[in-house]
Amino acid sequence: MAAAMATGLGRLGLRACRQNVESLLRSARGAPTCRLVPVRTKRRFSVPNWDREQSLEEKKLRPSRMVAPEEHVERTFYLACTADVIDPYVPPEGDARLTSLSKEGLKQRAERFKQSAVSQLALRKVKDHDPDFSTKTFPEKAQEIFTEAHNCLANFNKQKLHSLVTERCYSEMVRGNRYKTIRWSFVESLEPPRVVHVRCDSMVNRGNLYGQVTVRMHTRQTLAIYDRFGRLMYGGEQVPKDVLEYVVFERHLVNLYGTWRMHAKIVPEWAPPKDPIVKTVMIPGPTLNPSQEFEEIK
Amino acid sequence: MAARRVAAAGCAWPWGLLGWARPERFLASGSVFPLSCIHTSTPLEKLGKWEKKNRIVYPPQLPGEPRRPAEIYHCRREIKYSKDKMWYLAKLIKGMSIDQALAQLEFNDKKGAKVIKEVLLEAQEMAVRNHNVEFKSNLYIAESLTGRGHYVKRIRYHGKGMFGIMKLVRCHYFVKLVEGPPPPPEPLKTGFDQAKEYVQQLRNRTIANTL
Repeated sequence: MAAAMATGLGRLGLRACRQNVESLLRSARGAPTCRLVPVRTKRRFSVPNWDREQSLEEKKLRPSRMVAPEEHVERTFYLACTADVIDPYVPPEGDARLTSLSKEGLKQRAERFKQSAVSQLALRKVKDHDPDFSTKTFPEKAQEIFTEAHNCLANFNKQKLHSLVTERCYSEMVRGNRYKTIRWSFVESLEPPRVVHVRCDSMVNRGNLYGQVTVRMHTRQTLAIYDRFGRLMYGGEQVPKDVLEYVVFERHLVNLYGTWRMHAKIVPEWAPPKDPIVKTVMIPGPTLNPSQEFEEIK
Repeated sequence: MAARRVAAAGCAWPWGLLGWARPERFLASGSVFPLSCIHTSTPLEKLGKWEKKNRIVYPPQLPGEPRRPAEIYHCRREIKYSKDKMWYLAKLIKGMSIDQALAQLEFNDKKGAKVIKEVLLEAQEMAVRNHNVEFKSNLYIAESLTGRGHYVKRIRYHGKGMFGIMKLVRCHYFVKLVEGPPPPPEPLKTGFDQAKEYVQQLRNRTIANTL
């Protein structure tokens, strides 16, 4: 067949042959023919990988050496306590000043807790999860926890302290006390403690309930803090002080083995100021240029 | 149980992480914690004896006792200076009050003076902030020592292809600040005192085993 084609083409001649090819290439509408240009396809020189300019992404994706896959050591963390007090209780002014014998004092006392509807709702939720909870028996237990926790702090019994006090409270209690000696004692309770405020809230997921109960305690305590060398820094061992406190206790209600632990203290704005510490502290003044004097700036 | 596990884990990881910072008076109960925490690690640098001296806690003083003066230990390790050259500066400031020492070091031409001044200022700051010192000028330098650091050998090139081995020398500097006015310097022994002692020695001679 090729021989036949060759002979056929040979009769026509070379010029005719080329014309035929061009006519074949010519499209039906008569567009200009494109010239066949031979191209050398053999690669002579190629830029090596290391010299080639790579985009930033390519550079990042390609490691320079063998990289072992990172083992993700996952540590599950567990929220055992909330970070702060939910809806903190605002203690009424003059709480400990009004005697319980006056009419106003009694009225305040009786009505305040019952009025708060949110507290009632929260109390109901708490009782769902913890049927033994009752506003009459809880304050005594709360005071016991409070006393135990402070004794553990004085004796540096960290393990027991962790079980009596939430993590947030622990860090506040223990900070700065590492090299100090603390002597604390509970003298007596001036008024019976009572529940003042109940709140219930969930964290992260919807059903993850934490309950917070505020207990009002009016007690007499002694506190003495000694520094590293055994010198008295604050307070006195034989000086009892009357203290009115609003202590928040918290429990992870959904947890079967959760316990009521001390969480925070609410300090009202009208609280009397604390005693000053024994030593004097220098408050740095403004930095002066060599030419200035302090009196001029004042 | 979950709460206790959390408590155990909560207690274990600071114990491991901050294992260097335990006061010497507290002995933990011997219970084994499970390996539930991943963040335990050995401390990066092993603490030296001088640093640990800042951790001793004294029991509270009784009301009749005289007030115990505060002692603050501070040091700097691996200073690029010779311990023998540093000794001269350490001997200079031993026994001075801190203000006097800082003044002397500021106008001293040696290289170690700058380093020691920084160390003293750091120690003063630590004393006021952490160790319950009331007045920052009420400190004096009770002890100031130098120690040998790690030496490194290098080649020192001489002419004609000769070489020597040189030592790159480092030192440590230790200082102990005590609260209170500096103690008065001991009076020098006069000839008269020495003579008196000699005469006393002569008079103390006895004959043994006699009436």
